[in-house]
Amino acid sequence: MVLIRITSKVFCLFLPAVLLVFPEHALAIQTHGAPEGIYVHQMAHIFFIASLCYLFWDIRRSSFPIKSWRYLQYFCILMILWNIVAFTGHIVEIHIDSADIIKDNGYLSIHIAGPITTIKLIYYVAKLDHIFSVPALICLYLCLRSLYLTSVAEEKE
Amino acid sequence: MNSLSMFPANLTDMVGSLLIIVFSFLSLRYAYLLTKNQPDNFLWGFLFYFCITLAAFAISRAVGHLVKQVLVIGGKEEHWVVIAPLSGGFNTLLMISLAAVTIYYHKGIEGYRAIEQKAKNLKSTNKELKQTAAKLHEINVHLEELVDNRTKELSASEKKFRNFFINSKDMVFFCDSENRIVNMNVSGLEILGYSFNDLPPLTLHDIFFNEDDLNNCSEEMISHGFIEDLEVEFKREDGTLISILLSAHAVFNEEGTFTGCEGIAKDLTRVKTMMAQLVSSEKMASVGQMAAGVAHEINTPLGVILGYSQLLMDDFPADTEEGESLEVIERQTKACRKIVADLLKFSRQSESSREDIAMNEMLSDILAVTEHSLNMSHIQVHQNLSGHLNTVVGDTEKLRQVCVNLINNSHHAMEEQGGGDIYISTKNSDDGKNVITTVRDTGHGIPDKIRSSIFDPFFTTKPVGKGTGLGLSVSYGIIKEHDGHIEVESPIINKESGATIKGTAFHIILPALLNESGVVTQTNQQAL
Repeated sequence: MVLIRITSKVFCLFLPAVLLVFPEHALAIQTHGAPEGIYVHQMAHIFFIASLCYLFWDIRRSSFPIKSWRYLQYFCILMILWNIVAFTGHIVEIHIDSADIIKDNGYLSIHIAGPITTIKLIYYVAKLDHIFSVPALICLYLCLRSLYLTSVAEEKE
Repeated sequence: MNSLSMFPANLTDMVGSLLIIVFSFLSLRYAYLLTKNQPDNFLWGFLFYFCITLAAFAISRAVGHLVKQVLVIGGKEEHWVVIAPLSGGFNTLLMISLAAVTIYYHKGIEGYRAIEQKAKNLKSTNKELKQTAAKLHEINVHLEELVDNRTKELSASEKKFRNFFINSKDMVFFCDSENRIVNMNVSGLEILGYSFNDLPPLTLHDIFFNEDDLNNCSEEMISHGFIEDLEVEFKREDGTLISILLSAHAVFNEEGTFTGCEGIAKDLTRVKTMMAQLVSSEKMASVGQMAAGVAHEINTPLGVILGYSQLLMDDFPADTEEGESLEVIERQTKACRKIVADLLKFSRQSESSREDIAMNEMLSDILAVTEHSLNMSHIQVHQNLSGHLNTVVGDTEKLRQVCVNLINNSHHAMEEQGGGDIYISTKNSDDGKNVITTVRDTGHGIPDKIRSSIFDPFFTTKPVGKGTGLGLSVSYGIIKEHDGHIEVESPIINKESGATIKGTAFHIILPALLNESGVVTQTNQQAL
């Protein structure tokens, strides 16, 4: 037991000494490389999808009777779809070569160079993510509007 | 396909970004309104923060996209290269925030459920309250009708019993456990001679003449709960006594404690007086019949005795012993005949003449004869004769005899006390159908115990030899013969002051003379 204690004390003194003598191996400040941004962003999408799934499930579990909550469920579905599309778009974007995007005649004439592969087609579709996000926002708007009107009507009642 | 234009995608990106900004702010507006409308609703709070984060995310992302489009179209792509990481970073940050807020939703939903449950309970309670209020209202309306009807019934009943209480000619009274009279009707107060407006606090002790009667009543009521038809004497305010037939009922509270009584009392004084008069007149009638029979039977032998004694007196000189004895026989026989004649007068068997009589003149004639004798005995005569006295019809001699008898009785009553006053008055009755002659003295009066016997034949309080006891009997018979009646009052109650005056008053009430048309007639009489 005494030996163990002495060993522990020596180790505890030795380790800080090593770190002070060789600071380049301590890795005190971690460097964030270029891919980290996209990883965080993609994780945010997954986190967002998870939260939306939870919200959808909980609304369904709660069995709220009024249609307002159904709009919120639509919002969840559409936003999940948007997240999937956006997530997919970000992945596909990595695999698209910058040479495949041709903008010789300015930004407005930008186009994807052929031949159009599946990856390129998915990239193109992913760029149309607003097809999901705009209806989702419309559903959210309808949900809140309906909730407000119902609330006012109940107040009057 | 050689190439695919990105223009639709970029256009969709720009339009979509704008629309996202618009709808996120519209949503934020309604979330704000919800929060403002119901600040305590946690769910609205959650939605509000969710919309804020979403709006921030929408701005970050959409503005980023728009700026990118503008910069790239403007040929300044190098600027976008600088801004892009910031825009992306914001997007990521806000997306994580949005996800975090969404995850936090369950807290909101718990609050909302609690509130909704509370609201549901409140609504249910409110509904039950409304139903209860409706039922209560219905019951209340019904109750009001019920109370209204009961009040009307109670009022009618109260009115009925109050009218009975007020209008009863008998005395109705309520008293408490201390025998204090708490309420008495007007008739009761009239019977007792009290004024309704100036009524002193009364107890049963004040109105019961005999304390023993009251004690007996109280014991009877407490032991049996009631008394029925008990004859007692009540004392009027002026001290006079009245005969009362009393019935009363004891009142007990829930614990069985005696709390008072409710009584009804009937004044029997008048009935008793009438009964006494009836008994008296029945007695006088029977005595009169007997007297008439005796008088008739004795009258004949007396006539024979008187006739033979007078015949014998012719045979014997007056100065002889036999003559003197015959004179005694004659004198005593005549005395007996006078008694017999008086008995016949009492029994109204004697003959009478009928003529108009002015009572004032007749009384003046009598006083002219008797006043001297009265003055000798220190008796002052006071006359109060009415100037408009109605005429009566009858036998002058007999009525004179009545008046003389009454004056003589007064004389004798005051002789022992060495003098006094005689008041003689005449007046018409209130309806004018009778003539009332009153002879009042200030003598010792008539004791109660002999009052009922004073008109009996041969009843006298005078010593033997001083009177036959036929004076008032004869007077009674004569007045009855004239369809009148005679009343005695002793002691006398002054009707105006209520004071008691020592002495005796005899009231002779005779019917006034009516002419053919039924109107009373008057003769010229002298008022003295």
